[in-house]
Amino acid sequence: MTINRRLILILGVAAIMSVAAAESYADETCNSPYMSGLIKGQEDFVHVWTLGVPGMGDGSDKLVTIDANPASKTYGKVIDKVSVGGIGEAHHMGFTDDRKYLWAGGLDDSKIYVFDVGTVPSHPKLVKTIDNLPAQTRYAGPHTFYALPGRMLIGNLSNAADKGGVTGMAVYNNKGDFVAKYDMPTTAIREIKGDGYGYDIAVNPAKNTLLTSSFTGWNNYMRALGEVVKDPEAMKHFGNTMVVWNLKTMEPEQILAVPGAPLEIRWALPAGQNWAITAAALTSQLWLVKRDGQGRWQAKDVAAIGDPAKIPLPVDISITADAKGLWVNTFMDGTTHYFDLTDPEHPRQTYTKHTGSQVNMVSQSWDGRRVYITSSLLSKWDKTGKDNEQFLRAFHWDGHELTPAFEVDFTKEQLGRPHHMKFTANPQRLVSLTAASAR
Amino acid sequence: MRGAVAAGAVAAGAVLSLAGVAGGTEDPGKAAAPRMEFIPPPAGSYRLERIQPVTDAVFLDGNGRAVRLSALTQGKITLLTFFYTYCVDPLGCPFAHTTLADLRDRVTGDRSLAGRVRFVSVSLDPTHDTPAALASYGRGFAVDPTFEWRFLTARGVPELLPVLDDFGQDVSVDIDEHGRATRTLHHMLKMFLIDARGEVREIYTLAFLQPQVMFNDIKTLALEAG
Repeated sequence: MTINRRLILILGVAAIMSVAAAESYADETCNSPYMSGLIKGQEDFVHVWTLGVPGMGDGSDKLVTIDANPASKTYGKVIDKVSVGGIGEAHHMGFTDDRKYLWAGGLDDSKIYVFDVGTVPSHPKLVKTIDNLPAQTRYAGPHTFYALPGRMLIGNLSNAADKGGVTGMAVYNNKGDFVAKYDMPTTAIREIKGDGYGYDIAVNPAKNTLLTSSFTGWNNYMRALGEVVKDPEAMKHFGNTMVVWNLKTMEPEQILAVPGAPLEIRWALPAGQNWAITAAALTSQLWLVKRDGQGRWQAKDVAAIGDPAKIPLPVDISITADAKGLWVNTFMDGTTHYFDLTDPEHPRQTYTKHTGSQVNMVSQSWDGRRVYITSSLLSKWDKTGKDNEQFLRAFHWDGHELTPAFEVDFTKEQLGRPHHMKFTANPQRLVSLTAASAR
Repeated sequence: MRGAVAAGAVAAGAVLSLAGVAGGTEDPGKAAAPRMEFIPPPAGSYRLERIQPVTDAVFLDGNGRAVRLSALTQGKITLLTFFYTYCVDPLGCPFAHTTLADLRDRVTGDRSLAGRVRFVSVSLDPTHDTPAALASYGRGFAVDPTFEWRFLTARGVPELLPVLDDFGQDVSVDIDEHGRATRTLHHMLKMFLIDARGEVREIYTLAFLQPQVMFNDIKTLALEAG
């Protein structure tokens, strides 16, 4: 083989890989886009971070693992659960950069649990509990766990002093050691004042840009929703901003006015795209964050979600891998919406389905063929009585219709209130270096 | 010729491996080459986080001599990466070393950094990457004798594993249909920027391998040290 032939062969490999890479932009279930091991085929397991309910089962917050592979004998069944020994308002979680560990937070007790989901994905293990977030940062309510290389960026909702919404972001290394903290801005940048509130985090490494959104503090999210909405003073304490950060310097560069508690943020990551999208919960609007011709980021509302006058409360979104579609769940009316994002300036709702009496998180598979939905929002905000359904529902999506695949009744199974979901897969034909060296 | 055929077989194996992955359940973590659509902040205009200290270990250099890792992660600003000599993933080790070669040229072109920066490449495969193999591989990068670029290997896998664990560098090995380990390693490409006191100050995965940003980070650490 000549050098040239070898070069051609290597370039051939590069071509194949670049094809794969072209498909690999954007999220799988809204993970960090540069995290390793994004699952492009059939996920094997869905892990559900579940709020404990007193008197239900062991009453503890727990990581529930459900078999999601149709080829498995236990498809659609709960195959594992790991309790953490208390109720701390289990809410969101996120993978480390290597996808081996899942960090999960409690909005009430501010504890962070680290589960090993890489060694044996079907049976996660709790390997570390981090309980020094308030002491290290004065923040409370760890919400978003966003992988950075070798460390975890944590978006918080509250603070330990007055339990309001002024908060910040914390950085821990992957060993669980505190590294740094960054306050959300409370002063004005170019005439728009920061409210200091936090919620989601989303990074675009190619643009060196970090976006954050804003929700509310412990005083509101741990209070009955019915009371909050009737309290004019409480309703003043919701976030109305997004912040554009310089990722390298971790300095806020712009504050964007986005009224009504902007929540999850999703970047359009394919090359050539220059925008991100979010949903404002209280005003039920999709907001586009896009860079203008002068290089400044602008936010504008681009579509209503349902009938905003009825406050459907959009609570989660999931963008397709090609950034041309968006799932939105509205909690109050139990509806799952699909928007065509081909023109992100003008999203078009093309499909809706009533998927439960209350629906919260929505996560789709990489290939977009499967959509998973859970029911619980917050322990104090969930509906009561017969409307307090607690489930994970899996659907097939053929581009036109959601059809049921399986369902797990979390009340019947005595598990609790299911919230955030993450996928894992059995590693194929891979062994550890230790195992390989012993073969 | 035999070696070339072997290299070709490895490359073909990589193709097959990728094809298998595409139809399987888990992508091994490959991604696109990094894009940079911004003007990097100037060196010294920001602080790099203190992410973690580096634990010491003993490795072998290209001459088979024992070398303490701490001797190569302190005293200078160090960029450390893990690799293996026969890696053919265009966005893996070869890409990392191409990026490092670019950075070496930038560093050697800046007189304020003279003698203040080194690169360290540590093999992930001590079984096949012997000191002799490293010496041969390293010669291709030793174009500037004034620049310190060290290639290290471990005595064996047991000596390597604690270091991988400390850095959080995952590695797995492809097995064939008979359950036998192949020579295809999967690892998340990471590069570690370590200050002269031996503390990791930045970690670059593929999306962050942007030479101008990395150069500015090196300069930032140099300015910080005075």
